[in-house]
Amino acid sequence: MTDEKDILAAAVEKEYSEGFVTDIEQEFVPKGLNEDIIRLISAKKQEPAWLLDFRLEAFRKWQTMTPPEWGHLSRLPKIDFQDIIYYAAPKRDEDRPTEIDPALMETFDKLGIPIQEREVLAGVKSKVAVDAVFDSVSVNTTFRKTLAEKGIIFCSFSEAVRDYPELVRKYLATVVPIGDNFYAALNSAVFSDGSFCYIPKGVKCPMDLSSYFRINASGTGQFERTLIVADEGASVSYMEGCTAPMRDENQLHAAVVEIIVEKDADVRYSTVQNWYPGDSKGRGGILNLVTKRGICRGEGSHLSWTQVETGSAITWKYPSTILMGNNSSSEFYSVALTNNYQQADTGTKMIHIGKNTKSRIVSKGISAGFSENSYRGLVRMNPGAEHARNYSQCDSLLIGDRCGAHTFPVIRNSNPTAIVEHEATTSRISEDQLFYCTQRGISPEDAVGLIVGGYAREVLSRLPMEFAVEAQKLLSVNLEGSIG
Amino acid sequence: MENLLEIIDLHAGIEGKEILHGINLTVRPGEIHAIMGPNGAGKSTLGAVLAGRPEYTVTSGSVSFNGKDLLAMAPEERSWEGLFLSFQYPIEIPGVSITNFMKAAVNARRKAKGELELAPAQFLKLLKDKMAFVGMKGEFAKREVNVGFSGGEKKRGEIFQMAMLDPVCSILDETDSGLDVDALRIVADGVNALRSPEKAILIITHYKHLLELITPDVVHVLKDGRIISTGGMELANKIENDGFEGING
Amino acid sequence: MDRIYRVGIDEVPKRLTLNEQEHLRLTFIVMPGVSAEVPFEIKIGKAGVNLEIFGLYLSPRNEQVRFDFTVRHLVGGAHSSQQFRGIVGGSARAEFDGLVYVEQDAQKTEAYQENHAILLSEGAVVESRPQLEIYADDVKCSHGATSGYLNPDELFYLRSRGIPEEEARRMQMISFISPVISHLPEELKEQILSRL
Repeated sequence: MTDEKDILAAAVEKEYSEGFVTDIEQEFVPKGLNEDIIRLISAKKQEPAWLLDFRLEAFRKWQTMTPPEWGHLSRLPKIDFQDIIYYAAPKRDEDRPTEIDPALMETFDKLGIPIQEREVLAGVKSKVAVDAVFDSVSVNTTFRKTLAEKGIIFCSFSEAVRDYPELVRKYLATVVPIGDNFYAALNSAVFSDGSFCYIPKGVKCPMDLSSYFRINASGTGQFERTLIVADEGASVSYMEGCTAPMRDENQLHAAVVEIIVEKDADVRYSTVQNWYPGDSKGRGGILNLVTKRGICRGEGSHLSWTQVETGSAITWKYPSTILMGNNSSSEFYSVALTNNYQQADTGTKMIHIGKNTKSRIVSKGISAGFSENSYRGLVRMNPGAEHARNYSQCDSLLIGDRCGAHTFPVIRNSNPTAIVEHEATTSRISEDQLFYCTQRGISPEDAVGLIVGGYAREVLSRLPMEFAVEAQKLLSVNLEGSIG
Repeated sequence: MENLLEIIDLHAGIEGKEILHGINLTVRPGEIHAIMGPNGAGKSTLGAVLAGRPEYTVTSGSVSFNGKDLLAMAPEERSWEGLFLSFQYPIEIPGVSITNFMKAAVNARRKAKGELELAPAQFLKLLKDKMAFVGMKGEFAKREVNVGFSGGEKKRGEIFQMAMLDPVCSILDETDSGLDVDALRIVADGVNALRSPEKAILIITHYKHLLELITPDVVHVLKDGRIISTGGMELANKIENDGFEGING
Repeated sequence: MDRIYRVGIDEVPKRLTLNEQEHLRLTFIVMPGVSAEVPFEIKIGKAGVNLEIFGLYLSPRNEQVRFDFTVRHLVGGAHSSQQFRGIVGGSARAEFDGLVYVEQDAQKTEAYQENHAILLSEGAVVESRPQLEIYADDVKCSHGATSGYLNPDELFYLRSRGIPEEEARRMQMISFISPVISHLPEELKEQILSRL
């Protein structure tokens, strides 16, 4: 008779299907990091002086800082920051400077990312505007004209610096200051491209916006910067996806995302993170060390984070919200799956400053193989946060007896009218559940996928439809890799 | 007629403790067998062993099902072969809807048989038909598997799944326990409607109420891990009057 | 075995290791006026151990209280539960650090931990860091932490029955802390209740 371990172990090895490399001519800056490199990146992007100054200031700060070591990430290697190429971009065809290279089109096509509007208009893909970023540059941003008719700006970060410098200056680094943390400082110094999005007053964005990040070149890191501003009464749903080739080396991804939500505005930010996780022996994979933070600045504003984290060798990520406006609210819904030797330390911070602010945290961690999966969070009720409320539910699911599941919340309450509730549980897939499913004819591998999908449903159901399907698939695929 | 299920000298137990001490039982297509017995007789163990519950170990004996070695099969293979166990305590699977659960089960079986997956419209029709069959309303399909179900709903849910999967041999493990008269009637109607000359049913029960509604062809008394007596409905009546104490092998 | 420690009065051990199969109940009480750090680490090295920890902190003025508790399940098959309740007012500050650690292969561990606090005033601060660090899969572990205030509906209910507000509030506090004091000797219980 099979026991549970055999059943789980019987799951088949599955390839990371996004792990291909695009053969394309690219230009690089020299390896390493110093002020000259930063000047070079800035010059390549033809940036204004203020942005170069911003970068240099960040770099000087960064030099005085040390990498944070409090994460439960024993496999995070010591990163040699001088051994990384900080800028890599596909070479433009001199004769046809405005056209997208066919190799890039093919790449994004293979990844299922519609970087051309006609695919969407033909009804092949659901209606979503995409900013596709390949290594250090944005390849194309679709539906800009359609969006512009409503006054919405959606473009690459570089273009925003060129075309809307005042807006960028007004908001850049207002939520994540340049010296916020080691990796945010690094990003502020060397960030290459990313997305910029501005929804003007009272405008409901007519389609989902999305950024897709692709690492291709070897020996590089990706340092994108995303800035989303929803002005008064505006609303937008924004999605982010990412993949990278399979390589034995680790590659660094240190992004910064800032979101500003003004009075009565609503931003829903979803991520399906599928960076290359390394192989079953723990070789290679992306080091995903990112800072994401939003501020609910105006009264009645709302920001929700939904993340499905299945990739990366290391994940260090805490999408957070500063609830400044009275009656503002925020949610953090997360599924983090780690398998093999992956390690994830992820969670959120909810900082309640305004009155009647509300936040909700739902975190579902799934650990398999030899992985480590930690929830780390902070809920802070400041003295002025009258009648603020938070509810947190953090569940861990263990699959196999060689993985770890941890919960490290901090709850700090300084207001006698505020209520904070936190609950955490740890469980595993029970033999009864597996047997029940198999008795009904469902194979053990499918049963595990089904049960995990059910476990994560509360989070998955928050994702836009197409994303949810994708996320469910990713959960199953990532579980299939050598469990037990 | 070919035997559908043939159990020969089956010894089995759990955690090193033998519970079944040599079961012999033959079931032919179209037959309904009742297995009665006091608590701890090994009734549920028999159902669990036949369905391949991993915690149970078979120490000796054989079971053939459709002429195949049942004990060599994984639980899902037994299911694909047409064996269905209605659980005494149906298991909760949070977050998984009845629809998705059944879709996975129905299509896994079709795949195993080399058939194409059911088209969504076909599947939904099947689902609706079978729900109507057990008197379940539309929202039932969206509910999470057994989560928050009342005792009666759980049992009815099992009969619904049985109807969906259309097994050739169903084992109803104490499906009547904890049901009121109305719920019992619904379950019995469901089972009766699923009777056919090709199919067999094994009813594991403590009481004869269900047997009055689903008349068995054969009644066995299981005690201390052995079948000590076999007869017809009169055996069930005798137990009802005299208790299990009065039955001797 | 039942041990009660009145922090600031009794000597409180910092470390304990349980190598015998036993049922141990520990209660830590911090009375009003007492500021203290209470570091405590207990290792469970034997299956069958049943450990119950109760903690009470009453800090209505300007006390500084910090619990730093670690329960380590080194072997499987043991049970631990921790239940802390506190009422914090004035400009007092109460911190709770509680780690439940379950070693690899410590299967069939059951470990529960809860810290609930009531804040009575502006200026008071409660900080909870309940932590689970788990390396075995066949376990039942949970923690919960809340921070809030006395339920106004409850208060209204009591007052609508004719109980004066002050008395009603006191009753609410008694009800709130009762899970951690109900097992204590009458005399001590009275002593605690008289300080509410």
